Amino acid sequence: MSIVQTLLVFVGIPVLVFLLLAAAVFGKSMVRQPNRYRPGKAWDYAPRWYVAHPEVLKGPATGSSTAQGGASGEW
Amino acid sequence: MSGEVAITRTVLGSGPRGSEDPNSPFSSSQLARLDEALTLSSLESGLPFSVYVGDLAVPTRGSAEELFTKLTDESVLVAVSPAQRCLHIVTGPKSALRLPNRSCALAALAMRAAFANGDLVGGIVNGLRMLADGAGHA
Repeated sequence: MSIVQTLLVFVGIPVLVFLLLAAAVFGKSMVRQPNRYRPGKAWDYAPRWYVAHPEVLKGPATGSSTAQGGASGEW
Repeated sequence: MSGEVAITRTVLGSGPRGSEDPNSPFSSSQLARLDEALTLSSLESGLPFSVYVGDLAVPTRGSAEELFTKLTDESVLVAVSPAQRCLHIVTGPKSALRLPNRSCALAALAMRAAFANGDLVGGIVNGLRMLADGAGHA
């Protein structure tokens, strides 16, 4: 066995296996979850307000309803 | 409170799955889950739910209640600020009759647990489900 063959078998194959495993473990999350939230991470997105029925919004800041109750929490 | 609030409504079951909005904090499948939870809980309970995700001015509770003034008496607002790590559930004069503060506190507790694990959408979806269950049927 020449030196090149030896290197390929004993270095090349382990490196290949390592890379395959690394891709299998980390690949999907690196490609598909760029904006995963982590507690303490910055949140640079513009505020968004998701509503189920747009007609419940009375208009810009001129509503007459007042808050009555609810709950709060921190994490 | 900055007045710039993007009001987004995705239609249940027919959202654009292929085109991702790069400015949206959520992926299209997450938005679909959120929309399904919003629509189903609003339909089931008869209370119009809305979810605000973004920064709140300090004091955050007051700022969430100020947001609520744009809504109707029977609305329920879930305000989540991931940067400040706080959440507020606000009920109005009519929705407070259906949703006592105890039910809201229970939902807030479940949401906190999910948010602390980094599961923003899962926490919101579960919280909405619990709020709708607490309010009962219309």
